[in-house]
Amino acid sequence: MKPDDIRRYAALFSEYTELRAQENRSSRISVLNGDVVGNASGSQAGLSARSYKDGVWGFASSPEPGDEAVAAMVAKAGANVRFLASVEGRGSGVLPRRPGRSDHDLSAKKPRRGRKELIDFARDVDAYCVKRFPGLLSRSVGLSTLDMEKALVTSDGGEAYSLIPRALVAVSLTVEEAGEPIDLYDIFGGRGQFEDVFDTPEALYPQLDLLIERLKEKAKGAYAKPGTHEVILDSDLAGILAHEAIGHTVEADLVLGGSVAADYMGREVASPLVTLVDFAHSALGETCPVPLWTDDEGTEGRDAVLIEKGVLRSYMHNKETAAHFGAEPTGNARAFGFYDEPLVRMRNTAILPGSSKLADMIASVDDGYYFLRSSNGQADSTSEFMFGVVMGYEIKGGRLGRAVRDCTISGVAFDMLKTIDMLSDDMSWTAAGMCGKKQSIPVGMGGPAVKCRINVGGRS
Amino acid sequence: MSGMKDGVDIARAALAALKAAGADKAAAGFSRGEQSELNVDAGKMSLYRSTVNVSVSVTAYVGGRKGSVSVNRYDDAAIRGAAEEAVAMARSSEPDPANDISPRRPLERFAFGPAEPDSAAMYERLREFVDYASSRYPDTRLEQCILNFAAGESSYANSNGAEFQERSGSYGFQAMFTTKKGEKASSFNYSGASHRGLALPLKDWGNVDLLMRQSTEQLEPGGVGGSFQGELVIAPDCLGDFISYLDGTYLGDYALITGSSPWKDKLGQKVVSPLFSLRSLPAGPGVEIGYSYTGDGFRAENCDLIDAGVLKNFTLGFYGSNKTGKPRCPSGGGALAVDAGVTALDDMIRDVKRGLLLMRFSGGSPSDNGDFSGVAKNSYLIEDGKIARPVGETMIAGNVASLFSSIRAVSRELVDYGSAVCPWALTGPVTISGK
Repeated sequence: MKPDDIRRYAALFSEYTELRAQENRSSRISVLNGDVVGNASGSQAGLSARSYKDGVWGFASSPEPGDEAVAAMVAKAGANVRFLASVEGRGSGVLPRRPGRSDHDLSAKKPRRGRKELIDFARDVDAYCVKRFPGLLSRSVGLSTLDMEKALVTSDGGEAYSLIPRALVAVSLTVEEAGEPIDLYDIFGGRGQFEDVFDTPEALYPQLDLLIERLKEKAKGAYAKPGTHEVILDSDLAGILAHEAIGHTVEADLVLGGSVAADYMGREVASPLVTLVDFAHSALGETCPVPLWTDDEGTEGRDAVLIEKGVLRSYMHNKETAAHFGAEPTGNARAFGFYDEPLVRMRNTAILPGSSKLADMIASVDDGYYFLRSSNGQADSTSEFMFGVVMGYEIKGGRLGRAVRDCTISGVAFDMLKTIDMLSDDMSWTAAGMCGKKQSIPVGMGGPAVKCRINVGGRS
Repeated sequence: MSGMKDGVDIARAALAALKAAGADKAAAGFSRGEQSELNVDAGKMSLYRSTVNVSVSVTAYVGGRKGSVSVNRYDDAAIRGAAEEAVAMARSSEPDPANDISPRRPLERFAFGPAEPDSAAMYERLREFVDYASSRYPDTRLEQCILNFAAGESSYANSNGAEFQERSGSYGFQAMFTTKKGEKASSFNYSGASHRGLALPLKDWGNVDLLMRQSTEQLEPGGVGGSFQGELVIAPDCLGDFISYLDGTYLGDYALITGSSPWKDKLGQKVVSPLFSLRSLPAGPGVEIGYSYTGDGFRAENCDLIDAGVLKNFTLGFYGSNKTGKPRCPSGGGALAVDAGVTALDDMIRDVKRGLLLMRFSGGSPSDNGDFSGVAKNSYLIEDGKIARPVGETMIAGNVASLFSSIRAVSRELVDYGSAVCPWALTGPVTISGK
């Protein structure tokens, strides 16, 4: 469905209104210890309308296509906003506009693979892991794809079509060590349909070799020592730092909700080495993992430079928060499903690279840790954050030592960012992230290796 | 949505389509639901949202191979297309003798709760809550509150002749808040519950009022002064998180099928403290919002998961049970209730020499061996039986099984979340570290 297919319904709008037609198509294959335990696909398609009046919103959605159903849905959104405005209205509620007009289809142009080929791909990955490491207690291989297709028309002139796909292969392996299960996982893939992201299973073998070697090291590893340590966070953790620890605190709706960042605009919140950007669709000459040319309010997407050389410069905005703060909307309004309203969401959030070499960064640490992979992360209005760490190494005398078992790292972001004294001169993106703010939605996260001081928690 | 076909008939039509496409066994589900939702953002009522959705899910079994498709259309062509795709997917898969469907059970219909929202009462209850929060806790900001009503029906049918239909309506409320005064801000906290009606003021749902009051005390948290082994008094909101870790690491399908569960051979044995009993009560009445049938097509029956410390049931589904040879969980593993103990919460705190009143836990996923670590949020240091001060930047680490094995008191006070019931628990030691 394209904007041309829904533009005629704009005649039904009685207030400021966004009309979105959307279909999310997903597929999942799960192989557990060699058995295909999951083989499923799904589609969620429908339309939604959201209207704005006197500072409040009305929303309605329906899976039913057809003129009558769409008209009823648009009328319901209008009735909802008029009811809420009648009891809670707060003035004129004029929204800023910077209409985007974009059309982007990132679907694969190669022939699509059949189900059997995809199942065979997953089973091949599983078989390779067994062959390389016969002593595994268990292994899990999951193929997942998500195509998000949206058409949008807004009453202030925004029109957009997008088909943004994502394809991932997740591999989790467990080994038994001294009677205890020790596990490690990795996720491969990112933006694009499966055929564009993955070639043959053999192309994944070098990454599987690395995963297996690290699991073996972790099984023989030590527990991290609780306390504050000098650490190097590799790009996977730098990305989650950018997203969880900092990004959420500078989403303008959360700033209004009580985030400490409300008091920090224009102030130094990080080392001067740190520049942090929420990219709309392109970064450093490349298309981002989750590109957004026009957001779900119909605003043209622009990069939001959140921290520039250590100074807080901007929040991420939708139209309403931009109006509140007297700022330009940044195009950060995103919705996951057709039944979801757009929220202020991150897109592709990254710390920009510095000028140091990773080897020099490791050599500069006398007693600390090099953390490589996170499991999950959570943030707070105070900017206190927590990340689970599932792979890392001790650093002793400037050299990598034993691997460490699972632990947790934490800190107060706006304190911890000031301890950053080295950033590597390269960066990479994590394209498998899902952010869970009311609705779960794909996000991109990235960064270089970061040297800082951080709290480490775990069994001593 | 009046005038639509009965959901069981739609599920039966999907079964017929699966059989016609070549499935030798089949299962189908149909659901439709409507939701009304009022949102508060940054302390202001901001959004009135109404959604409608349907779902047809079909699973085809061909020679022990399985394929599943779900779509949100239910016209004949959509059902036929989903069925044909599911059969094609099954044919592409690998056979697994554990793939099967539940045995015949004549159609049973269940109905719970109201069919329509009381929209006026929803608005009044939420307005009352916003007014209460702003007058009682003027420095506390409601980051986001959601009051919703969800109603709908779900139907299930399989080719063995098992059939169920459930109609259900309930209200849900979640409040997330933080306190901000000048440049100082507390950690956010949240609570909420689900109920069939709106009899109670929203401040009394879940632990909302207590956590809002505590939020006002948490603007200037202190440290714990280094690393030590201390005890925990775990709040009900937080105990629920650790119970979900217990399920995922020790009781659930994944842990048992992979063999990583440290309790895989401990059915019928003592696994945790005799003071801890965990029941799964989907048929009520101990849990208000239950369910009548499981996702794999069985009548949901109440059962004990852990009784006085003894492991009575895993939470295995039908596939997991077939795969491992261990018994299927009769309840489906939801609607959890922890038995109340005999100790007053105040007495539990008085019994702690040094430790934490753990109100929220922000942690990494536990390892397969049950080790966990994370940050104690919105929590308090307990010293010599008294709450000394709120703490910040404080981490805890331990092992999930050890945590439940070390429980030495359970509170007589319970918090009712509608879909679960939970007390406070005193346990430890765990590693506590911070500035």
